[in-house]
Amino acid sequence: MSEITKELDTSGLNCPMPILRAKKALKDLQPGEILRVTSTDPGSVKDFEAFAKQTGNELLESTTEGDAFIYQLKKS
Amino acid sequence: MDEIANIHVVASLGFVLAFVFGAVANKTNFCTMGAISDWVNMGLKGRFGAWILAMGVAIAGAQMLELTGQIDLTQSIYRTTNFGLVGFILGGLMFGVGMTLGGGCGQRTLVRVGSGNLKSLVVFLVLGLSAYMTLRGIIGVARVELIEPLAIDLSEKGLEEQGIATVVLSWFNVEVSNGARWLFAIVISALLIGAALRIDDLRTNFDNLLGGIVVGLAIVGAWVITGIIGYDDFDPVPLEGMSFVAPIGNSISYLMTYTGATISFAIAVVFGLIAGSFGYALVTRTFRIETFSHKGDMINHLVGGVLMGVGGVLSLGCTVGQGVTGLSTLALGSVIATLSIMLGCAVTLRVAYHRMDEKGRIAALAAGIADFLFPWREWE
Repeated sequence: MSEITKELDTSGLNCPMPILRAKKALKDLQPGEILRVTSTDPGSVKDFEAFAKQTGNELLESTTEGDAFIYQLKKS
Repeated sequence: MDEIANIHVVASLGFVLAFVFGAVANKTNFCTMGAISDWVNMGLKGRFGAWILAMGVAIAGAQMLELTGQIDLTQSIYRTTNFGLVGFILGGLMFGVGMTLGGGCGQRTLVRVGSGNLKSLVVFLVLGLSAYMTLRGIIGVARVELIEPLAIDLSEKGLEEQGIATVVLSWFNVEVSNGARWLFAIVISALLIGAALRIDDLRTNFDNLLGGIVVGLAIVGAWVITGIIGYDDFDPVPLEGMSFVAPIGNSISYLMTYTGATISFAIAVVFGLIAGSFGYALVTRTFRIETFSHKGDMINHLVGGVLMGVGGVLSLGCTVGQGVTGLSTLALGSVIATLSIMLGCAVTLRVAYHRMDEKGRIAALAAGIADFLFPWREWE
């Protein structure tokens, strides 16, 4: 598995906050670096798919861990 | 057998129609705040397109009903001669800020309550109480003293109502004929539907198409139920579409005063929407209890609920009440209220983004507003 550069926990927050925070966090990364996001918002699954497709940052992984949704985004 | 009262027929049909709306809104993620957020935060216009499509469908249907003489939309609250410009703008901006802080508009709040979100249940209660206080309670005193006197009486300007066709043609001193009304209705609905269908993420996304069409048709259905099926000279019911601010306040009041209260179409629609979303969540096993886990998040939702409750009453409606139902009557006030809600939401999203730079509240607010005052500056 690729190495994670930065972790972002958005547990408890709903749309639009997880996407806003991920967008901000990605800004500080270098191309190729990986951001791991934790969310508890069920709506975030579609949001992160759309976000990756739209911004070109690749969604390497979208899984669940207990109650949480986990995403790995690779900065483009 | 006793005859069933007209209001019970109307309310039952409203519940069924809203049930479908709620299930589809849950399935398709139809969300007006999400629509603006997708666009502002990632340049994705699919869900915004779904909203525009809903407007276009609702306008086409409602105008066809009116222009063929089946309903009279000037009898609805949207097309009166009372033009509350300050209320539309101020209330709309408040509602737009509120729905961004509160995790979605009135409609979305009901859908999320149905799928187990207890944060939205808090917003539901606060929104409803604030709306009721603004209608009849302590905030209502301020509304009547401060905001209502600022309303413009269009009849003093020789206008009979605030329909766009009437206002525009009177401006140019042209007689308002039925043909002109048809022209306005066809052009505006065609422009909206056309604009929506130009968006790739609407055309190629079944959920967005379905959400837009069903929400638009639900509003047309509401006009049919309250204006045609429920039309009865001896036992009248108000002509109304769907709206989710004052009706949430009235639903809470209905539950608390049940033994002495009468059901209405709008109250049945509130319960129908929650039930439809709940049904969908059960069938798809997506029902899931969500709670607050941050102090700041709870404060945001409480403030959001108050702003939506107060703002939604001042603006005469929410993103569905004004943004689809109101627009379907082609009332000028609905256009102003809807644009104000959109602006309030978009600015709040940008302020929230700037806040993450560890900027102070004032600096973030200034930066967020500046994004819209100087749109040629590139956004991060």
